[in-house]
Amino acid sequence: MSSSLSIGRQLAWLSVVSSGAALLAASLALLYFQLQEVRSGTLVRLESVTDLIAFNIASAVDFNDAQAATAILSALKTRPAVISAGVVVKGRVFAGYSRPGARVAEGGDLLMTSAASRFKEQELTVYRRISSEGRPLGMLFIRVDLSDIGQTWRRFALITGLVAIPALLIAILISQLPRRAISRPILKLASLAAAVSDRKDYSVRAPTVKSAAEIEQLVITFNQMLTEIQGQHAEIEEARAKLEQRVIDRTRELEARTEQLEERGRELAAANGELEAFSYSVSHDLRAPLRAIDGFSKALLSEYGEDRKLDQRGIHFLARVRAGTQRMSLLIDDMLHLAQVTRRPLERSDVDVTAVAAEVAAELARRNSDRLVRCTIEPDLRASADSHLLTIVFENLLGNAWKFTGLQEDARIDVGQTSAGGEPVFFVRDNGAGFDAAYADRLFSPFQRLHDESEFEGTGIGLATVKRIITRHGGLVSAEGKEGSGATFYFTLGGMS
Amino acid sequence: MQRRMLWRGSFLMAAGLFIARIGVAATGAEYQVKAAFIYKFATYVRWPATTGVDVNTPFVIGVLGKDPFGSALSEVVRGQSVQGRVIVIRNIGRPEEALRCDLVFVSSSERSNLQQILAALRGVPVLTVSDVDQFAEQGGMIGLVTTEDDHIRFSINKAAIERPGLRASSQLLQLARIVGDAEADRGRH
Repeated sequence: MSSSLSIGRQLAWLSVVSSGAALLAASLALLYFQLQEVRSGTLVRLESVTDLIAFNIASAVDFNDAQAATAILSALKTRPAVISAGVVVKGRVFAGYSRPGARVAEGGDLLMTSAASRFKEQELTVYRRISSEGRPLGMLFIRVDLSDIGQTWRRFALITGLVAIPALLIAILISQLPRRAISRPILKLASLAAAVSDRKDYSVRAPTVKSAAEIEQLVITFNQMLTEIQGQHAEIEEARAKLEQRVIDRTRELEARTEQLEERGRELAAANGELEAFSYSVSHDLRAPLRAIDGFSKALLSEYGEDRKLDQRGIHFLARVRAGTQRMSLLIDDMLHLAQVTRRPLERSDVDVTAVAAEVAAELARRNSDRLVRCTIEPDLRASADSHLLTIVFENLLGNAWKFTGLQEDARIDVGQTSAGGEPVFFVRDNGAGFDAAYADRLFSPFQRLHDESEFEGTGIGLATVKRIITRHGGLVSAEGKEGSGATFYFTLGGMS
Repeated sequence: MQRRMLWRGSFLMAAGLFIARIGVAATGAEYQVKAAFIYKFATYVRWPATTGVDVNTPFVIGVLGKDPFGSALSEVVRGQSVQGRVIVIRNIGRPEEALRCDLVFVSSSERSNLQQILAALRGVPVLTVSDVDQFAEQGGMIGLVTTEDDHIRFSINKAAIERPGLRASSQLLQLARIVGDAEADRGRH
């Protein structure tokens, strides 16, 4: 409840104020009419008295009998309201009467008025012509004190007050009736609404009470609303239950699926491990016979080639055998390399990326001293990475760049850093042969080559190795390029957080 | 009795009340007042309807004996009427003539013949007025009296007025000293 009044109290106030106002108006009207009544009653009584005295006193005036006239006037002493009275004949006071203690009427102010009567302040004066047989004899006046009217008025006001106060009290009592009939059902409804919203119990109903039509309508509507809410609530509950069941089912399904996946993953990892072990051992084991083939081919060439026991054709075939074995050895090396990258544990440290890249570039330049490549490396690049693996990454990326700029007269390679999403992104850019962007996603798979062996030599394992290293670092690698206009390789190294 | 007290009281109250004093010391002035009274008596008395007079018959005021009014009475009644009847004044010498009048003023000159006059008019609807001493007490209807302070007052013999069916109004009676004619009867025997 706020500072505003309750409905019941407002209604009570309203009825008290309205009945009070009505009472006041009625009382005032009554008082006014009573006052008028008393005044006119006084006037009528005084006029009849004056008429009577005017008739009685006529003969005394007629016969110039002032004593008799005075005696008649003195009968007025039985009327205490009469202040003074007098008979005026030809401008002179013929006979007079004045209440004991009252000022004697002055002849002067009695004559001027021709009115039958006049009210003046607290006094009322009535005038009557005295005549006999139509002969005017003089003028009679009687002046009365109206202060007793004031007394009457006060008495009446007191009585009115005594009536009005109990009436007001009764009005207050009666005003409690609508309070019962209107306020109570509303309060009940309000507390019910509060209870409903507190306990979320929509099954309760407001009792239909005999009350004002609007209140009854309110209760009915409230109950209808409750019914509706109850229905909706039930629907919502049902939907929620269904949804929950669905979530549980899905979760269970997902769990099963996850378990399957994990199982599959484990199987896959095991298979992968086996495969790696297998490929490692195969590569390793293949080396020995390969070396034997190469070694014996070399021996055959040196011992039999120069002694002419082998003709030119034999020498050529042997040279082909040697080239084949060397290439196979290279392949095996790369495969071993790739397997090693996977098997080695990751050891992160703060690496001077600029130094690593520069060293690799210098090695490349030394090995290919016949080529001039302008290689620019951004200074002060640092990263948290496995320095050995990062060296392999640069060997591959810079090696590729070196290799694919082989046909370029003005070969350029840039190593630098940008950032994406707050993470440092390293890049290696060249202005070499580039590649068809449609095959960009195939670049990082092993043994995938986009260029002809005769054009650019290579095993197709380098970028697969790079991808594996970057993946192990938790980073991403990507490439962008266009056939004939260079390529850029981007990679991140993860582990930032 | 009450009347007498008022009479006496008037002397005591005279100073405090506003009383128009009309001096009647001079004889002329006295009879002017008396003339006015005579006319006014006529207006306060009702004659019996059996008299059978109509409006066209004049109202006759007779002055029996030596007329003391001079022109005063005729001046008073000039242009006046009594119940619509024109007033006529007649000087009469004999009581018999009074029978044809409605009102007779018995002059003090007839003081000695008073019993005879009253006997002649006894039971007749003629209002008798006189300033002879003890007129009402002796059987007259209205007797005029001059008070010590020179005011004119009157006594009424109610029985004498009512005997022939005349009626004096209460307004008139309240001003008069009411006397009976018992003493008058006594005086006759």
